[in-house]
This record gives sequence, structure tokens and C-alpha cells, in this order.
Amino acid sequence: MSNRAASGFSLHEDTSASLIGLAILALALAVTWQARPATDGESRERYPKGWPTPLAATIDRPQPWSDSPLQALRDKKDNSIAAPILLGMAWVVAVGAAGAALGGGEVLRFLPGAAMLAALTGAAWFLAAQKLVHHYNLEYPLWALAIGLTIGNTVGAPRWLMPALNGEFLIKTGLVIFGAEVLVSRLLELGLPGLMTSWLVTPVVLVTTYWAGVHLLRIPSRSLCMVVSADMSVCGVSAAIATAAACRAKKEELSLAIGLSLFFTVIMMVAMPPFIAWVGMDPIVGGAWLGGTIDATGAVVAAGEALGKEAGQVAATVKMIQNSMIGLIAFAVAVYWTGWVDRDGAAARGSLGAEVWRRFPKFILGFLLASLLCSWLFSSGPAQALWVDGAITGFTSRLRAWLFCAGFVCMGLQTNFRELAPALVSGRPLVLYVAGQFLNLVLTLAMASLTFGWLFRKAVDS
Amino acid sequence: MNWPPGSGRLAALGAAAALLWCGVFPRLLQCPALARHIELMDRREVNPAAMYYTELEHLPLRPPWLERRVRLWPAAVAAMASPSGRE
Repeated sequence: MSNRAASGFSLHEDTSASLIGLAILALALAVTWQARPATDGESRERYPKGWPTPLAATIDRPQPWSDSPLQALRDKKDNSIAAPILLGMAWVVAVGAAGAALGGGEVLRFLPGAAMLAALTGAAWFLAAQKLVHHYNLEYPLWALAIGLTIGNTVGAPRWLMPALNGEFLIKTGLVIFGAEVLVSRLLELGLPGLMTSWLVTPVVLVTTYWAGVHLLRIPSRSLCMVVSADMSVCGVSAAIATAAACRAKKEELSLAIGLSLFFTVIMMVAMPPFIAWVGMDPIVGGAWLGGTIDATGAVVAAGEALGKEAGQVAATVKMIQNSMIGLIAFAVAVYWTGWVDRDGAAARGSLGAEVWRRFPKFILGFLLASLLCSWLFSSGPAQALWVDGAITGFTSRLRAWLFCAGFVCMGLQTNFRELAPALVSGRPLVLYVAGQFLNLVLTLAMASLTFGWLFRKAVDS
Repeated sequence: MNWPPGSGRLAALGAAAALLWCGVFPRLLQCPALARHIELMDRREVNPAAMYYTELEHLPLRPPWLERRVRLWPAAVAAMASPSGRE
């Protein structure tokens, strides 16, 4: 972090991100518990998204709008949400200031830039909330990057903004909070067919695509191969963010991977449902195929629902199981990277375990701790499951999204178009994505047909 | 007042974005095919921009009809899981 020595006290960025992320999670759980319902606290029917949390009033994002951006300031019940949106910006400033303080920076120097960063983040949300953009899954990272890139490559980031541009810290803190959403317990939701469709195909596609990028296409950057492979095979932008942090990919590489993922997500979301209907595929198999292949969760549900209610439900659940792999994959990538890819010559003579520990991105441990803690709590009983769901859906997932969005604005502001040019001109990342996605489509269809269509099909068994 | 270099390009890009978001996109929304798709998604409360399942309007829990059509845990696995060794 910048200005580390200013106050004499400083923590490593990974440690600060973990501490702040876990503190926010503890706050969310404590406040949600404090406001737990007096009756029906175990009823999923009464509380489908978990217990309501008072913290929900402190953060929101602009709602989909069609004609005027002002429509984004009102929720579905026509209540004003201007205050929670402004408070969302305040959360970005507060988390950034806490990181600056723990990192030994001067908080006062940080504040003007942080206020501007929060305003640009809010602007990215407004762009993403336009109804056409919203319904075609052009997610907020794209607009956050676009705003940052536009300013950074025209007038450039002003000097007073620089102390606040700590995108890596914001994304790492967002990832630690995100750990709470990676609930291992959700893995078993669709039984063995769901596990086989999500967990057998995904690692095979991830490893094969990465290997092909490094050895067949000879892409010079291994981290670019990993990020493209992960976002294509696991679950799009969220997987790209987690693996990019685990393998210390450059910000330009993450931007490129996200751009590829969003572009192909739109194509697949529009093209796959009519194709499935045209070939007369069973809706369960079709839904599982959509869930296992389209990168972004929202696009999976939209494509599934376009096919029918049944396909939409199966698609969303398969995607949720795949979502739950992020923690394990991020951990495995971090271990592989520190132990084998990034290992320097001198350290290679020492013990592998010690070297992995020395270079391991420690915030991944905060992410895993949040995931394991919330998974344990979630599976302890129906009331605890609603407690965790309430804290996540009402608060932490919203804050995580604001922090990611702010992180992407920072990345855009610090990225030079010229650094993206070599990868774009060679076209090899595009070939890697397309080839990997083709393999993903074939293997997922085969596995979905085998499990949901034949092996575990009751009609066939009876 | 001296504007920093690149201010003209930034202003032009900002104006283009404003034209797209407030002029072109709202018009495109009136196209019948798009309007039908969006109306269907709104009616089913789908959040197509969700990055993760926790951002969906409805948490994707196992649909009740699924177990009638798919054997989620085959007999052998279910028997292993049950305390008596039988399903």
C-alpha cells in the first residue's frame, strides 16, 4: 500500500483485507442475529431470502431504469433508495479508509480521492442499471472498467486521486466478504447428478484449457491462461476475480478475461435456449447444460427461464453448485502458483511447504475462513441457515459488489490501453476462450444427458 | 481556464455515452422482441445481471418437482448414508 511508513504502524495488504472483511462479516451476523424474528424464525416459506437485516437499509444499488436515470433511485415498491445508494458510496470510502489506516497511510490525504472513487463507482452502477444493459447481462465490472479506462486514457487520473486508487485491496476485501457466500453445504442440492455435472466437467475443462493455452497456443502469460480458463469453466466474472487474485494476474489480464466472458455470455444466453428448443431437448437436461456452460449466474437464469420454468430452476441450481467451487479452485490455484509456477530458483532448493507458505496470498485464508464458518453455521439448522442467508443477501453481497465495482474503477484508471494491445492483436486469448468453451459445451452436454437424462432418471429406471 | 489535455476527448465520449444510455437504449427497449423478453423476465422476477447466486431474486433451492423425475441419490449411496445401512 502507498505511504506505508507514514504512521509507523502498517499491516500487509492481505492481512488488512482479511481483518476488515472478517470484521464486516461478524458485524453482519451480529446485527442480523440481534434483529432475528420473534416467530417463524425457521420458516423458509416466511423468509425465502433469510431473516431481514437492519443493515439492508445502509446499502443498495441503483435499480433497473429505462428512460431516465432518476428511475434508478426508486425500488420496486416506488420507495426512494437514494439514501442507501449514498450510504453504499460511504461504505466504499469507509472500507478504503480503514485499509489506508491499517496499511500505515494518511487517511486525510486519502479521503478526497476516495470520495471521487465512490462517485465514479456510483456512476458505473447507473450505467449497468439501464434496462437493456441489465437484461443482456453486461454486468457492472464492464462499466466500472470502461469509466476508469476512459478517464485514465484521456485526461489521466489526477494526482489527488492517486492515494485512493487501491483496487487490489478493495477487491481482496470484497473477496474475503464473498467467502461467506461460498457455502459448501449448497453443493449437495441436486444430489449426485448435480455433483457429476458440475464437479467432474469443470475441473477437466479448467485444467485442459489452461494446459492448451500454455503448451499449444503458447500464450506467454500463464496467469492470463489461468484467468481465462477459470472464468470460462467455473462461473465467469466472480471466478475470474478470485483466480486472478490467487495467481497474481495483471489487471490488464483480468480486464481482458472479463471482457471475453461478458461478450460470449451474451451470445450464449441469446443463442442456446432457441437451439435447445429446436432440437427438442428435455428441459432438465437443457437446464443442466445451460447451468454448466454459460458463465454468468444471472444469464444462466435468464436463458433457463426463456426455455421454461423447469429448465430455469435446474439451470440456476446447477450454476449455484458450480459457484460453490470457487473457494476450492482459488485455494488450489494459489497453492499451484506459489509452489510451482512462481517459484524462484533460490527458494526451489528449500522446502516446498515453507516456500508455498511464504508466497501464499494470505487473504485467501480469510476467504476460506469466511466460507467454512458460514458453511458450518448454515448447515447447523434451519434457523441458522436463514440467519446466514439474511446477513448475506441483505448486506454482505451488496457491500461485496460495491467493493468489486470500486476495485474495477481503480483498475481501469490505472490501465493503459497500449498494455492490452499485444494480447488483443495476437487473438490467442480469444482462441483459447472459444476452444475451451467448445470443450465445455460438449462435455457438459454429455454429462447432463448421462446423469439427468439417463443414469439417474426415474422414468428410465422404472 | 486551462483544461488538461484530453478533456475534449473525455467530453466527447461522455456525450456519446449520454446519447446511447438516454436516447438510443430507451428506444431499443420499445422494439417488440426486446420488450417481450424483458416483460417475461420481469414477470418471473429474474435478475439477469446477477454475478452470483446470492444476487438472484429467488435463491435457487432444489425445485420440489425434481425428485419425482430424477433419482438424486441412488440406492447404494443413500444406504451408505443412512444409520441403519438401509435406505
